[in-house]
Amino acid sequence: MNDYEPLIIAYTCYWCSYTAADLAGTSRIQYPPNVRIIRVQCSGMVHPNLVIDALTNGADGVLMCGCHPGDCHYREGNLRAQARADALDLMLEDFDLEPERFRLSWVAASEGPHFAQVVKDMVADLREIGPSIYK
Amino acid sequence: MIIPKEDIQPMNSQNGKPVGAVMVVGGGIAGMQASLDLADAGFKVYLVEKEPAIGGHMAALDKTFPTNDCAMCTISPRLVTTAGHNNIEVLTNTELLGLEGEPGHFKAKIRRNPRYIDLDKCTACGDCAEVCPIVLDDNFNGGLNQRKAAFKLYPQAVPNAFAIEKKGIAPCRDACPAGQRAQGYIALIREGRYEDALRVIKEDNPFPGICGRICNHRCETACNRNLVDDPISIAGLKRFVTDQVYAQPYEPPLPAKRKYEERVAIIGSGPCGLTAAKDLVQAGYGVTVFETLPVAGGMLRVGVPEYRLPTWIVNREVQEIIDLGVELRLNTRVENLDELFSEGFNAVLIAVGAHNGRRLPIPGSDHPDVFTAVHFLRDVCLGKAENVNGRHVLLLGGGNVALDSARTAVRLGAKQVDVACLEDRQSMLADEHEIIEAEEEGIRIFPGRAFNQIANNNGRITGVEAVDVKFMQFEADGSLTLETVPNSEHILSGDMVFFAIGQSAGLAFIPEDSQVGTTRGGTVAVNPNTFSTSRAGVFAAGDATTGTAFVIEAVTAGHQAAENIQKYLLGEELEVREQPELPVVKMSPTEVSLRMAKGEIEPKPRLRMASLESKQRLQTFDEVNLGYTEEQARAEAARCLQCGVCSECLSCYYKCAAGAINHDEIAVQEQLDVGAVILASGFEPYDAHLSGEYGFGRFPNVVTSMQFERVLSPSGPFVGHLVRPSDGHEPKRIAWIQCVGSRESERNWCSAVCCMYATKQAIIAQEHAPGTECTIFYIDFRAYGKGFDAYYERAKEEGVRYVRALPSAVRQNPNDENLIIHYTLPDGNQIYEDFDLVVLSVGMQPPNGMAQLAGDLDVALTEDGFCQTTNLSPLDTTRQGVYVCGPFAEPKDIPETVMSASAAAARAMTLLAEGRHSLVQPKEYPPEIDVTDQPPRVGVFVCHCGSNIAGVVDVEAVTEYARSLPDVVFADNNLFTCSTDSQTRIQEAIQEHDLNRVVVASCTPRTHEPIFQDTIRQVGLNFYLFELANIRDQCSWVHRDFPEAATEKAKDLVRMAVARVRLVEPLQRKWLEFNHDALIIGGGLAGMTAALELADQGFKISLVERQGDLGGNMRHLQFLLSHADPQALLAQLIKKTFQHPNITTFLNAEVDSFEGSLGKFKSTLKVTDIEESPLINHGVVIVATGAQPYQPSEYLYGQDERVLTQLELEDILARGSAEISALKSVVMIQCVGSRTPERPYCSRICCSQAVKNALQIKEINPNTEVYILYQDIRTYGLLEKYYRQARQEGVMFLRFEPDQPSQVNADGTLQVVIHDAMLETDILLEADRLVLSVATIPREDANQLAQLLKVPQMQDGFFQEAHMKLAPIDFASEGIFLCGMAHYPKKAVTETVIQAKAAAGRAAAILAQRELEIEPITSHVLEDKCDGCAYCVDPCPFDAITLIEYTDEAGKTKKRVVVDETICKGCGTCQATCPKDAIYVSHFKLDYLRAMTMAALEV
Repeated sequence: MNDYEPLIIAYTCYWCSYTAADLAGTSRIQYPPNVRIIRVQCSGMVHPNLVIDALTNGADGVLMCGCHPGDCHYREGNLRAQARADALDLMLEDFDLEPERFRLSWVAASEGPHFAQVVKDMVADLREIGPSIYK
Repeated sequence: MIIPKEDIQPMNSQNGKPVGAVMVVGGGIAGMQASLDLADAGFKVYLVEKEPAIGGHMAALDKTFPTNDCAMCTISPRLVTTAGHNNIEVLTNTELLGLEGEPGHFKAKIRRNPRYIDLDKCTACGDCAEVCPIVLDDNFNGGLNQRKAAFKLYPQAVPNAFAIEKKGIAPCRDACPAGQRAQGYIALIREGRYEDALRVIKEDNPFPGICGRICNHRCETACNRNLVDDPISIAGLKRFVTDQVYAQPYEPPLPAKRKYEERVAIIGSGPCGLTAAKDLVQAGYGVTVFETLPVAGGMLRVGVPEYRLPTWIVNREVQEIIDLGVELRLNTRVENLDELFSEGFNAVLIAVGAHNGRRLPIPGSDHPDVFTAVHFLRDVCLGKAENVNGRHVLLLGGGNVALDSARTAVRLGAKQVDVACLEDRQSMLADEHEIIEAEEEGIRIFPGRAFNQIANNNGRITGVEAVDVKFMQFEADGSLTLETVPNSEHILSGDMVFFAIGQSAGLAFIPEDSQVGTTRGGTVAVNPNTFSTSRAGVFAAGDATTGTAFVIEAVTAGHQAAENIQKYLLGEELEVREQPELPVVKMSPTEVSLRMAKGEIEPKPRLRMASLESKQRLQTFDEVNLGYTEEQARAEAARCLQCGVCSECLSCYYKCAAGAINHDEIAVQEQLDVGAVILASGFEPYDAHLSGEYGFGRFPNVVTSMQFERVLSPSGPFVGHLVRPSDGHEPKRIAWIQCVGSRESERNWCSAVCCMYATKQAIIAQEHAPGTECTIFYIDFRAYGKGFDAYYERAKEEGVRYVRALPSAVRQNPNDENLIIHYTLPDGNQIYEDFDLVVLSVGMQPPNGMAQLAGDLDVALTEDGFCQTTNLSPLDTTRQGVYVCGPFAEPKDIPETVMSASAAAARAMTLLAEGRHSLVQPKEYPPEIDVTDQPPRVGVFVCHCGSNIAGVVDVEAVTEYARSLPDVVFADNNLFTCSTDSQTRIQEAIQEHDLNRVVVASCTPRTHEPIFQDTIRQVGLNFYLFELANIRDQCSWVHRDFPEAATEKAKDLVRMAVARVRLVEPLQRKWLEFNHDALIIGGGLAGMTAALELADQGFKISLVERQGDLGGNMRHLQFLLSHADPQALLAQLIKKTFQHPNITTFLNAEVDSFEGSLGKFKSTLKVTDIEESPLINHGVVIVATGAQPYQPSEYLYGQDERVLTQLELEDILARGSAEISALKSVVMIQCVGSRTPERPYCSRICCSQAVKNALQIKEINPNTEVYILYQDIRTYGLLEKYYRQARQEGVMFLRFEPDQPSQVNADGTLQVVIHDAMLETDILLEADRLVLSVATIPREDANQLAQLLKVPQMQDGFFQEAHMKLAPIDFASEGIFLCGMAHYPKKAVTETVIQAKAAAGRAAAILAQRELEIEPITSHVLEDKCDGCAYCVDPCPFDAITLIEYTDEAGKTKKRVVVDETICKGCGTCQATCPKDAIYVSHFKLDYLRAMTMAALEV
């Protein structure tokens, strides 16, 4: 299992979290190369089906990042994302997926280090639980 | 006070149309807001910012109150929009210097200061900062950490580019004829980077090992360190570099590439000739050096003894030049210049030096035992010297050659060596240390002698007959004035005499017919600027043209000669090159002592290098001076004061693969034509050093509030960890001290924001580290703004402790660096309390340098240094056409700053209305290629970004991989994909390969997507057919240690981008015609002001007032603190409103119905006594419905006629003085109806209203006692001075606690009992009048209007703006704006007027557009899929989706949703909600996201 490297799909909102991921780069903060970032307008744009599709097609984890509550560029899209994330947490079990495989994190535009930490933590957790059964 | 000016009408056509451009000075939030409004309204904007990036202070904030929004999250989109706006030209590093001309037609003089980094070329990779050796305090982070001289102002800076901080040329470089970058190599030595140091030295001087030993180092004389102790040992350090590098085995350089046919002959292989040879061979010419002697190096090789300059050093430095490909012909005397030309040389440089020793024409000087020192030295160097063993040698001359010869003779065994010279001991030309060392070696010096003849006895020399010199002086022409002491003749004995009195050039090879002229002094005659001789193609330089000089002059001459020879060979004119005047950083003694006082400079004398003992020296030619050890050199280098800041070490220049660095940039002055100027210069935080009692600067754990923002910020110096500076520990107890630099005698104003930001910082600190004890020491708590009091209460609930006391001092516990705050409680108790960290809430001051600029602009300032404005337009300065916004006019928080910015923009729009759209042209693009039915043909361009990507990611492999992807028909990689030539190559590839989709794999779309979209658009591709794969910021930069995995990730990202781009469809921006009129609801001060500001710009206004007259609340206002007459102002305003041809006023009218969206609103009015309802079509609407006073029931109001409200008091005051004069005592009670459980907000204006009326009473009768009973006196900003005035005039302020309200009895007399919170005792006041400062409350019917317009209200009933900080005038629904007291209580006249004009500015930014642009990224409904479930309707944050019923073709009634594209922002919440994929956001379709996801998973 030592050579197992989890693959994470990250949907990041363009206004805060994507900017933070860039800031991690500008600040040269290192994190594991296991994440593939897909830019969305708002975390509220991510359809739950998309998350399930990703997880059932071999993603070891899906990370969704948005602006902190109150900071949403679209007022409250992130709150919708939160609601969906709550629902997704419940759906995981139906698909025999561990709860660690899906995560929603708020990452503000100035939180480059935080973004890196979120990725590090998730990678560590996923290494722990091993590959997805859909792999 | 200033009499309000007549409103400025639009410029009439007699002067010609006004210039449709505005200069905005200051790139903070105010400057950006004003620029965006103006640019949207069709004006060209020059946004002038003196820093290298825009953003101002807000960019440095962590969070903003009262919403705790991340400041960077909110400002960042604004930064990007500003920089990307077509009509805005951002001029960073730029200052406004002066303004000429008239309003509408100004010429603005600006200075563009050098950035030293080309904005167009910089890729923000940061390589320059990485190699930069200059470490400075990072001022953006409050000096809490350090940055380099090459820096980006802050990580998210816009423009996203680096800059170099350079004050100017260091004096050492300035003093060096060759311009050696001494500060540069010293900085590199300090860093231990010796190869780099040698590289920059050799940039200007090919002989560092030599100059490090024998240069006369004028750099050290100029060194600013002379003002402290000893100059830096610059020469010694230079030598040290060569000692280090030359200790390594010699590796010859690669031969220079030959670029030109032409060949140059150089006669003489001394420092001048070889320098020129190096330059020319490196420039690509053939170079041959002719040398008469058997060795190369000229005087360096044969003129300086070995113990001073080892031969191997000379050989090595000469060899390095020869190895570049210079042909060296030794033992070759050039006899004839013509021969050189016939041999095929195209140019000749004569650099033969001055090797012929001179002799005095005195009797006996031709004796065979009389020599010249220069020949002696040469012969010694060539190993064939006269034997001096056992002889008594007498040297005539006092220069280095004399001393060199003397010390050489000692080493060769001379029995005695003496030196005699004309000059006295102090004036001898030889280096002082040479003389000292010579004396140590037993050499006797006979200064002050003139020589009459060589004495001999029977042909054997016995010495020289000398006389004592009384006075001597060399005149300008070289002649000597000499006075000797009579009868002082004496013999200086010796049996060998050496003349060391100077040399001349050996020019025997220049016969008269050679066409090369010579001078009387025996040198080659040249034009000193071009080094050309009288014969074309023949140049001369060095000692041969000037007589003997120092090595560094020869080097300099060599460079210049080479430059001129190149010009000659290229056929360019040999003109003197204009050298830009670069500022030299000369420090003043004051500056130095200031820096010493601050501890930045510590005295530390120069380190001496070791040398051989004199006894050892006599036996050997070993080098006397032993050089620095590495430890010594780095310590010596660390003494450098870094005068220029940037050291010009050129490390960045060598490193920058994009070629963006230019250290020779200079400041340029320009003139720009603008119609108006807006000063948005911001503020300067108070310098806390000045409050010495708090220990800032002395105690590391005392920080300013600006520093604390950076402490809290995730992108700050501690990456958001709450730690204190001294030890990095988390502070458990933090104290804030308020009013540092505010509310004091010299700064008699309130800084308006500190109470709130301190509260915010306390709340955030507790969020960072729960359990942190936060204490705020304050005088009055000024939570006067919208939502502020609730925030204050929340802080108290969350455990923030507020102590009403002004600490007198902060001391430091030396053991743990904790701080002890000393303060006094109201009962007189002295408290000493311990804290881990103290934050000084520093106030706002007028920005630095503004006094000077205001003077130059002819703009008046207040006595405090803020910008003076007029009453009715608090945006207008005293110079017409120059406006002000932000805290430069008065301390302000962010929303008020934003309001004033939009308002100032409105003023400029009004002035220049006729010039609108005249200077902004949309960019022309070729017609778009229709790609609808074309199969995807994708081109992929992978960027190296120098080594930023390629250093980690295998770019070639990624490119190769891209070629294998479906639909990819072309893939290439570039060093810099964003460079102009790469963009051209992308365009060529699109055309050559019929590409219809493009992927660039490089950096972040946030900065570079617009650039590449423009690139493809220029060749006819729709710019949505583009995708960026972020393989730098999100790959190579963050996976440095995993190159293989990073390469795989980069491939994945490219694959994902290709998967997406294959699917994307072209999108078109839509342009809609729309209605350009405005509806304004409310005819009070706000409504009329907004109406007039818009009407003056030519827009048609419908002004709706529910009452029978205009004026609103202002009709009851009798006085203003500024002494202007509000009723006169109001009358003027009403008259103008009624008379304005563009304003239709509806009195007794209300809006009855309202529908539509931005640009196409429809409203009907209900007008009393009129049956028909007027229908109004309008593009925007402004809500200016005001507020109303609270009707009190407290304190016997309504029961006793002596109890009044402040407005009622004003009426009495206005009626005349008699009634007031009769009053003995007036008591005022604040916060009646405000700050109560029902209305937990501050009504903002009542404190200043009470102060105003109290002052009115005191003016009428100073003996009337006035008491103001208050909780906190909230005279924020410049109102503070009236509070102080009131206290000075005897108004009594008594404070009560909210839970202990005053009691009022009317038992004959009115009696007020207040429990004084200071004295903690009841006080009985007898009042002739009791005046209640009542709350301002929302209009009763505000909720009806809210429902009609579908706009939100706050809990307290005031309308809720779109964003509390950055959109305080906008409603969330586009096209609806808000101003005046409907927003929140506002100070009349200024605040209401500002917000009203701001609303006009925001509205005009829309109305002035010719057509309304609809962003194409909006949501769309697939009609056949939508079944009208309406799941998407509620989640839409913008209410852009409506459910409709319709009849289908079969006649069935069905439901589905429709989207209003003008409202939709494209967030996609609907798309994620729809269970049937029936609604999508263009460009972000679920299919695209799924395609990327599956591509990432390789399924």
